Amino acid sequence: MSAEATIAVNLARCVGSTMCIQVAPSVFALTDEGQSCVIDAGGDPMERIVEAAENCPMEAIRVEDLRTGTVLFPLTEES
Amino acid sequence: MALSVSDDLTAPEVIADPHSYYRRLRDQNPVHWNDRWGGWVLTRHDDVVQVLRDSEAFSSDRMGYLERELTENEVEPIAPIFDVLSRWIVFTDPPLHTKLRMLVNRKFSPKMVETYRGTVRKIVNDVLDEIEPQGHMEVVRDFAYQVPMTVILELMGVPDLIRVKIKEWSEQLGLFFFIRADEPRRRQFATQGISALAGHLTHYLTHVIEEKAKNPDNDLISLLLRAEMDGELTRDDVVATCVLLAFGGHETTMNLIANGTLALIRHPDQWERLKEDPGIIKTAVEELSRYDGSVMTTVRWARRDVEIGGETIKAGQRVLVGLSGANRDPAQFEDPDVLDLTRDPNLHVAFAHGIHVCVGAPLARMEAQEAFTALTSRLPCPKLETEELEYLPTVVGRSLRALRVVF
Repeated sequence: MSAEATIAVNLARCVGSTMCIQVAPSVFALTDEGQSCVIDAGGDPMERIVEAAENCPMEAIRVEDLRTGTVLFPLTEES
Repeated sequence: MALSVSDDLTAPEVIADPHSYYRRLRDQNPVHWNDRWGGWVLTRHDDVVQVLRDSEAFSSDRMGYLERELTENEVEPIAPIFDVLSRWIVFTDPPLHTKLRMLVNRKFSPKMVETYRGTVRKIVNDVLDEIEPQGHMEVVRDFAYQVPMTVILELMGVPDLIRVKIKEWSEQLGLFFFIRADEPRRRQFATQGISALAGHLTHYLTHVIEEKAKNPDNDLISLLLRAEMDGELTRDDVVATCVLLAFGGHETTMNLIANGTLALIRHPDQWERLKEDPGIIKTAVEELSRYDGSVMTTVRWARRDVEIGGETIKAGQRVLVGLSGANRDPAQFEDPDVLDLTRDPNLHVAFAHGIHVCVGAPLARMEAQEAFTALTSRLPCPKLETEELEYLPTVVGRSLRALRVVF
């Protein structure tokens, strides 16, 4: 599946809860440092990716629609 | 090396000022074998994060460990409570942990939590409406407890009538495992019916769950029951998770609000700063969690030999993971003993780290944000009625018995 999303994991926030990996296991994986990283932005359907971001207890995941640039999560950007 | 730090983790001076104790330990021997407690004590941020991230090498199966420690005669009277506690998300390892966590996480994600903010704001202000005209309060009982208790019961869908009882039962349950392991009273509690008392909470919630199964709603208990119907959870898992939520849903947030209020009272400039600029509330809550959080330590058990900071933790040994110690580590935080409500970045571990990072953290954060915003905007910075503060003598929780203030 080709990627439809730009996904960013904020490493200053990620605490390695692995919630994203449970929801979208083909997109996210754990690094040796115990933090989340994107292994294949097209690995799971878009709604799964957004659900993964929503389930992050730290709001460490940002998802953008690759074509339109619309931010799909978080809905309100923090400073 | 001769240590000038005692191994008594519940000595009165440690309970009164754990931060100084853990600082001395970190300065002198950051990976310390505590003979009295019978395990390693970690106080450096790096070491703490290493252990919390490595759930393969370090188990959270507290009940399994306790069970091995006690004799059969000692286990028998507390067997029912053991069964409940052994199913708690915090004390389980994957795969059961993953299953429970995923379910509960949905209701506690930051996105879901935002939808409760209006309700929480109203609860906070209703509580303050009662307090404001009086000119004094006991912060723990009148404020810090009221807010999270009301919120968690509403989220779970448990009738509010029973809240006084739930507090009493939760305190009993807290005494059971927050108290130090070598405390003779723990065994006494166990044998003299502590489990029966805590069992009331289980019994009551079992009844609520049965009723809810007949009339499902949109609440957390109904969500868990749907997972039971789908064959993902057993009824025992549902009951245990509800006991955890009723207990953990108020106890720790209560302490966070009480400890944070005390920190603000002791730093009136920071109280005024928040009052003048409520826009800093998010970093403020992170800083209050770091500065004097509600959970000082958490425990892990090594599954295999692991090297931490030059010492070998052997398979089977336990590790006291010093969250409070890590949160004041100068290697991670500039001026760690200074309360700075705008500190950013703030990579504290007050809610732990890794797969067991507090599932309720987004909710606790939001509740604390609402509580401190309303408190500082509505009341002048209070004065303590007494400087003699008493904390529960536990290694885990940082729990004020009472906090009397006038304003």
